Amino acid sequence: MHIPDGYLGPQTCLAAFGIMAPVWAWASRKVRNTLRLRQVPLMALGAAFTFVVMMFNVPIPGGTTGHAVGAVLVSVLLGPWAAVVAVTVALAVQALIFGDGGITVFAANCLNMAVIMPFAGWWTFRLIAAGSPASSQRRWVAAALGGYVGLNAGALSAALMFGIQPALAHDAAGRALYCPFALDVALPAMVLEHLLVFGVVEALVTGLVVAYLSRSEPALLEGGMPAAAPRGRMPLWKKLALGLGILVLLAPLGLVLPAKLGASEAWGEWGGERVRELAGYIPAGMRKVEALWRAPMPDYAPMGSEEATLPVLSFWYVLSGLLGAAMVTGLLIAARRLITRREADGPAP
Amino acid sequence: MDDSIFRLEKVSFSYPGHGLSLRDVSFSARRGERLAILGANGTGKSTLLHLMDGLYFAHGGSITAFGELLSPERLERPPFGPRFRREVGFLFQNSDAQLFCPSVEEELAFGPLQMDWTKQEVLRRISDTLDLLGIQSLRDRQPHNLSAGEKKKVALASLLVLSPSVLLLDEPTAGLDPRSQGNLLELLDELHGRGMTLVTATHDLELLPHLADRVLVFGEDHRIAADGPTAAVLDDAELLLRVNLIHAHRHWHGGVAHSHPHQHIVTHGHDHIAGEHEH
Amino acid sequence: MGPLPDWMVIGRSELPLPLQQRRGAWSLARKGLGEIIGKAAILLGPGVNDSHGWLTRLDARAKVLGILGLLLTTTWVRGILTLLFSLCAAWALALIGGVNVRRMALALLAVPLFTLALAAPAALNLVTEGTPLWILCHLGGGTWGPWHLPEYLAITDRGVFVAMRFTLRSLACVSFGALLAASGSPQDLLRGLRGLGVPAAFVMVAGMMARYLSLLLESAEQIHLAKLSRSIGGVGVRLEQGWAAAGIGELYRRSRRLAEEVTEAMVSRGYTGETRTMAAQRWCGRDILFVSACAALVTFLLGID
Repeated sequence: MHIPDGYLGPQTCLAAFGIMAPVWAWASRKVRNTLRLRQVPLMALGAAFTFVVMMFNVPIPGGTTGHAVGAVLVSVLLGPWAAVVAVTVALAVQALIFGDGGITVFAANCLNMAVIMPFAGWWTFRLIAAGSPASSQRRWVAAALGGYVGLNAGALSAALMFGIQPALAHDAAGRALYCPFALDVALPAMVLEHLLVFGVVEALVTGLVVAYLSRSEPALLEGGMPAAAPRGRMPLWKKLALGLGILVLLAPLGLVLPAKLGASEAWGEWGGERVRELAGYIPAGMRKVEALWRAPMPDYAPMGSEEATLPVLSFWYVLSGLLGAAMVTGLLIAARRLITRREADGPAP
Repeated sequence: MDDSIFRLEKVSFSYPGHGLSLRDVSFSARRGERLAILGANGTGKSTLLHLMDGLYFAHGGSITAFGELLSPERLERPPFGPRFRREVGFLFQNSDAQLFCPSVEEELAFGPLQMDWTKQEVLRRISDTLDLLGIQSLRDRQPHNLSAGEKKKVALASLLVLSPSVLLLDEPTAGLDPRSQGNLLELLDELHGRGMTLVTATHDLELLPHLADRVLVFGEDHRIAADGPTAAVLDDAELLLRVNLIHAHRHWHGGVAHSHPHQHIVTHGHDHIAGEHEH
Repeated sequence: MGPLPDWMVIGRSELPLPLQQRRGAWSLARKGLGEIIGKAAILLGPGVNDSHGWLTRLDARAKVLGILGLLLTTTWVRGILTLLFSLCAAWALALIGGVNVRRMALALLAVPLFTLALAAPAALNLVTEGTPLWILCHLGGGTWGPWHLPEYLAITDRGVFVAMRFTLRSLACVSFGALLAASGSPQDLLRGLRGLGVPAAFVMVAGMMARYLSLLLESAEQIHLAKLSRSIGGVGVRLEQGWAAAGIGELYRRSRRLAEEVTEAMVSRGYTGETRTMAAQRWCGRDILFVSACAALVTFLLGID
């Protein structure tokens, strides 16, 4: 999954660098706060370990060997923020000192393998293994699944980076400057090979190593997950935010499904124009009220976007969802503050 | 006048998940002394040195160094923290853990840089220490390319560059060839002559007279079994047998098979520390 | 100790030896070992310390700035001629700079070949549209799933151009990357990065990683050898995978233990959490000359593009 130099154009490389800079800063801060004096040797050896894992030949059926990335393994063992640092350093040494990997695309590689992969894998791992004791079977199965999901998430991201190159960077004659494969080729090619082959290797390595360690020294598995927190310990607001977030992301379904199924708007939710179509005229009362208020974002998109394409409308849909959720949450918090202050200022007991 | 540098009172320590590593250890080490901590493997010698260097902290009892109690809070703050780190040097058994910088020069510079000394001072000390040990040629070398003897010298250099007054040594001659061993012993002798306090952990009886004037013997029960001058301890065969430092197994020499207490040394010869035998 | 059991008789084995030996697994294990040693050799080997060229003796900051600048330019330009020129510039610099060219050449084996393999399909009209240069076969149109098949499979002119540009760019970029790696020892290059503003903590971690990488590779080799010395091959992929995982797990345990010891060694010499390094050297005339020469080259490349 390592992207070499010359595959991605400058915009992608710079954008990746822009995203990674704050992530690196945050990761190093997190690591410094949690590990303190141990941070330098532990990160150095974590990076060296990651490097060796990347080199390890894993036997697969068919008589050949495969390679794993190991980013999810490191995030399970040391925590996701430490994995960001360790994988970044490993990739840096690989690129700079071995001359083996992209220097200009360094930030992009880090985004795929040092951020998306460990976090996706770790979240999957936590989701499945939460609350289980250190040496239970659920742990290493969760780790294996985490490895699978993580690698595919990273591969998807890499495929997206490849696929947008021809559209993003081409010369006057329309010829691609960098990766010549558009999304319709890059996406299926990369995603399929990672779903079917590399993902399995990654899952294998991650799961088997965690299984081995859970038998020999379970204490080493504490790094990625603070001591078995009982189920349901996730604070309520986090659960709520997660749920809301998922709903907001799914909001564009409200655009896609009706279009697919050929449905029109909900019964009764009609504007003046629609009423005239149906009934032949607009009632006077309706006409008066209609003029009262001009919505800033009619139909959840800024004015003038009626003719926009589906992806653009979906984007505005999601944004509206976020905006709306934020406003409601803000109002509720403000209301709560006001009420509790009132009570605090209330009559003395 | 109390010139003890270290004072341990009923110190106990255990690793999490393991049994007791040290039990009720009490002794003091005086300035300029050559002290040996003698014991079979696993009796807690290395742990004791870690405690004396403020890397671990006792669960029971207390350790006082230079008149101050060794506690994490005290060691984190100046002036005692930096002073202690400068005054006490710990030579690890595993040289690879001790040499963690990319080059020998940077390794020697590490300690002085932590002390906030000026660049000229740091460079001067590095040059002088390299000269002292005769390893100027290693200045730009990388640690993993060095031989065991060279690694030991560089490790020692990285401690001496801070001009400590106490050296804690964990099995300093382990894994060294005879010439390197000899060099090291001579160097330690020289340093002691200049007033350095030496505390050495070892299980090598042959080296003992060269390393120490006073011996603390640890038994397999993790307590101090004896505390006395080197000669007296080495003469006490019964003690050494009891704490598993010498053994008696069936072997050959003089054309006859027999068994008596003895210890094996590197050159595979026999040195009869104590005991009579009959052919 | 009691007497030896009767089956432990030296020189006489009662139980039969396995007749079958699956060749695959045995050579697999040896291949894995070989690759690890190979990589270790590159890192630990003579490499830079052997070469006495003027390029390796420059200040690291100059090297990094100059070569990175050329690398960035190579990713920017679009003309095939320009890319060819850039490629030649990389190798010219290597040859006249006295860098270990053999080591550089090794780097060209992997990625450029891969890029070529990847670029080849791009020359087809399936991927890049254009005037067909060479018709390979007839497909007859129609559809296959969501994809529409063209009338024939051909190599187009635009396709060839795109494939060539892609491959050349990859070659040139890899050459510059290899040049940079061969132009200095690991700590030299890291010092250069530090001098150019990369955070000290990162450089320290990277430096320590490079220092311990060889140790870890040796550990991996030992673990591997231990398994090898007891295997007769032919235990099946499942068990082999288990061993590979156990090897990695064991390596991790050793790494953790070593990390703890190194922390103790650092604390013992006064480490309190702050990274401190010695200030960098000054620039000298030769370094500035080199960077200026690289800048001139960059301008030239951009100009002829």
